[in-house]
Amino acid sequence: MTAPLSLAPRLDLPAASPLSEAIRARMGQALDLDAGNVAHLGGLCLQVLLAAAASWRAAGQPLRITPRSQAFEDAVAMFGLAPSQLESEGGA
Amino acid sequence: MTHDPMAEIRASFFVECEELLESLQDALSVMADHLEGDGTQDTETINVVFRAVHSIKGGAGAFGLTALVSFAHRFETVMDELRCGRLVVDHEAMKLFFQAADMLADHVRLARDDASGSPPGSETLLIAVEGLMGDRAPEAEEEEVEFAPMGLSFDLALPDLGGPLDDDGPGPAEPDPADSDSVESDLGESDLGESGLGGQRWTVRLRPLDALYASGNEPFHLLRALAELGSASITCERAALPDFDALMAETSYLSWTVQLTGEIEESDIRAVFDFVEDVAEITVTKTPELAEDPRLCQPEVALAPAAPPTPSAADPVPEPTHTAKVLAIAPVAPALPVLPAIGQAVDLPPEHPLPPPSQAAAPTPQAVIPAVQAAAAQAAAPAEAVAATVRVDLDRIDRLVNLVGELVINQAMLAQSVTEAGLPANSAVMNGLEAFMMLTRDIQDSVMMIRAQPVKPLFQRMARIVREASAAVGKEVRLRSEGEGTEVDKTVIERLADPLTHMIRNAVDHGLETPDRRREAGKPEEGVVTLSAQHRSGRVVIEVADDGAGIDRPRVRDIAIRKGLVAPDAVLSDAEIDNLLFLPGFSTATQISALSGRGVGMDVVKQAIGALGGRIAITSERGRGTRFSISLPLTLAVLDGMVVRVAGETLVIPLSSIVETATLSADDIRSLGPETSVIHIRGGFVPLFDLGAELGYRGPKASYEGGIVLLTAQEDGSRAALVVDEILEQRQVVIKGLQHSYGNIPGVAAATILGDGQIALILDPGDLVENATGRTRSADTFLALAG
Repeated sequence: MTAPLSLAPRLDLPAASPLSEAIRARMGQALDLDAGNVAHLGGLCLQVLLAAAASWRAAGQPLRITPRSQAFEDAVAMFGLAPSQLESEGGA
Repeated sequence: MTHDPMAEIRASFFVECEELLESLQDALSVMADHLEGDGTQDTETINVVFRAVHSIKGGAGAFGLTALVSFAHRFETVMDELRCGRLVVDHEAMKLFFQAADMLADHVRLARDDASGSPPGSETLLIAVEGLMGDRAPEAEEEEVEFAPMGLSFDLALPDLGGPLDDDGPGPAEPDPADSDSVESDLGESDLGESGLGGQRWTVRLRPLDALYASGNEPFHLLRALAELGSASITCERAALPDFDALMAETSYLSWTVQLTGEIEESDIRAVFDFVEDVAEITVTKTPELAEDPRLCQPEVALAPAAPPTPSAADPVPEPTHTAKVLAIAPVAPALPVLPAIGQAVDLPPEHPLPPPSQAAAPTPQAVIPAVQAAAAQAAAPAEAVAATVRVDLDRIDRLVNLVGELVINQAMLAQSVTEAGLPANSAVMNGLEAFMMLTRDIQDSVMMIRAQPVKPLFQRMARIVREASAAVGKEVRLRSEGEGTEVDKTVIERLADPLTHMIRNAVDHGLETPDRRREAGKPEEGVVTLSAQHRSGRVVIEVADDGAGIDRPRVRDIAIRKGLVAPDAVLSDAEIDNLLFLPGFSTATQISALSGRGVGMDVVKQAIGALGGRIAITSERGRGTRFSISLPLTLAVLDGMVVRVAGETLVIPLSSIVETATLSADDIRSLGPETSVIHIRGGFVPLFDLGAELGYRGPKASYEGGIVLLTAQEDGSRAALVVDEILEQRQVVIKGLQHSYGNIPGVAAATILGDGQIALILDPGDLVENATGRTRSADTFLALAG
């Protein structure tokens, strides 16, 4: 089990590329994301997380986002999504 | 150095804020003028005010500047009342509007400096401004920007999360229900049973373009703003999202559909997209009745984190079946050419507006043209006469100025070598060189013009000073500004702010009489301070004039005598008395007021102006007012100088300080003390300084008979005669600062590079004379003569 990947407090435009790279580097293994410090989740990083979840799901690997800050949860809801859609249960 | 695009966008937001604040001030001034006139206000001007405040709010929202947004929002609410004609403008209201605009500027400044909170007095002022609305004043309104904890109840239908995303799915304009997820954000204030049925239903579709993110905007803020309008059901369309491997982090893939229900006007929805209309595809569709609202036939499901996915069939499909009207949101009014969208990356001139709604309206959402394309198509149409501008980093301009300076020097060097080569004057090389010289000069002028800026922002700052100063001393004062479009070098403008502030305060505090006195003198109670700028023979002249009592010369003279600044029996002309005001430590205020009279007086102003290569003059008429004129060089980058030779060294003396040149005869020179001399010229005596001796190139000459002197005059009227060996030429030189490398050198202002590549010092005669020894004879000579 690798250490959880801690998400930056501001997931905005400048954070999108680094986030995407960081997740890409952990492909093929179970991934825990720590969204406990997220104060702002923007559309670009949301895309990264959504696509990552889909990719992890396809690979049958678990991807969990925990803990999740209130701001993170509120933002996901405001984007018309549920946090579970950004995760993968794995189970391959 | 890491490149931070957000910091850049943020910086450009604040630059735009400055422009918006400027147009806000302008519009308020126009309103004030209308109030003076027939009292009717035109809606155009009020719109400018409204939009300026609104634009600042919008941009600030994108950066989460809560205090600024909150202030702008409440100010805007009042302006909206005004716009709707529910508020009548009177003098009191106008005053409050000006104060609110000043306060808004303070808020912007605080936000820019990353300071939190509000400037002092912000809340009090807001309450006063909101008081204008009477009963309609909002009761401690919820701030739009606050993350108010909201009770979210989810009415959602999740698709099968197990399957991979469909790459080749339909585009975002036609959302596939299987790729759409909907969460209803019930924002607490609207229960569908109450507000929903009585209201209207809108379908808003938002597809951000890449530029939306690139310009620092966020769909999150837009969605939240929409959700705040009423009851919202937000659906995220993910069909366009590629596989993670193919995902570009800064490309926009997602789009959203928002079903809005409530008492919502189309304009409310449109206002949300004010700043992103050309960086997103936006459609707004009105759905006439609520009978088919899927939510009504569907029980609400509260979402627990582990809520099992339910089939998406019941999901409200964002396909507008009852399309009444679909339109690409066009800018609300093209009436405001100075207000570009905040931080927009696609920098389309706002004078090419999107097509009017009637043109852009399309029967189906599929036909909606991306606003950018539409605008681009429109750009080909004949433009209105509004100049397009580009914002450029000052550093780049400075580099260009420097390079052009080098070019001028290089060209001069080339000219010199050609001359030395002895080519005939009408040779092809000479002719070509002449054309080259003219071109260089044109380029230099053009580059200098890039640095030039209108004095208007500076004058607007002064308007605020007048408002604050007059309030502090209880006088009614109006600032009239003339020649705001006059352009001056940016550096000069920046360095003028302090002296002008001082002069304006002086005019309000000392220049103008109290309202009682003015009435007695038969003048209107409201005093007028006039600030004007104009170009006059290669210099810019800025004047500060008041219509006050004028200088009380006997009193000035008494004070000067009491302070020991002049001898009690001195005979002084009016001009000389007026100039006493510039002496250090002089203050006529009998009482120390909050504004001035602390002993920091006009002498500081004079020094500051002098440091800019300027002069200040004063004229006054008893009972009619006082006028200060500042004359400044247009630029600090080049200088007209006289090139002279002293003891084999080449020096440049600013032409502006030279009054005349003369050749000395034996009769002109008189000894004064053991080592100093004066010359007798035009009926007066002027101290003689030998530049060679003062600069340490050589000792004093044995005789100055036949020598050449430059007679210089300073702003304070003091004169000096500088001895030089030879006058070479009179020319423009490019100023090269020495301060960075050598610090402040007494008597030396800067340096320049001459045509032959030689470096010459540019002297500062005022400073030089102040620090001079005045030695024009050595003590030996004196002794020899005495012996």
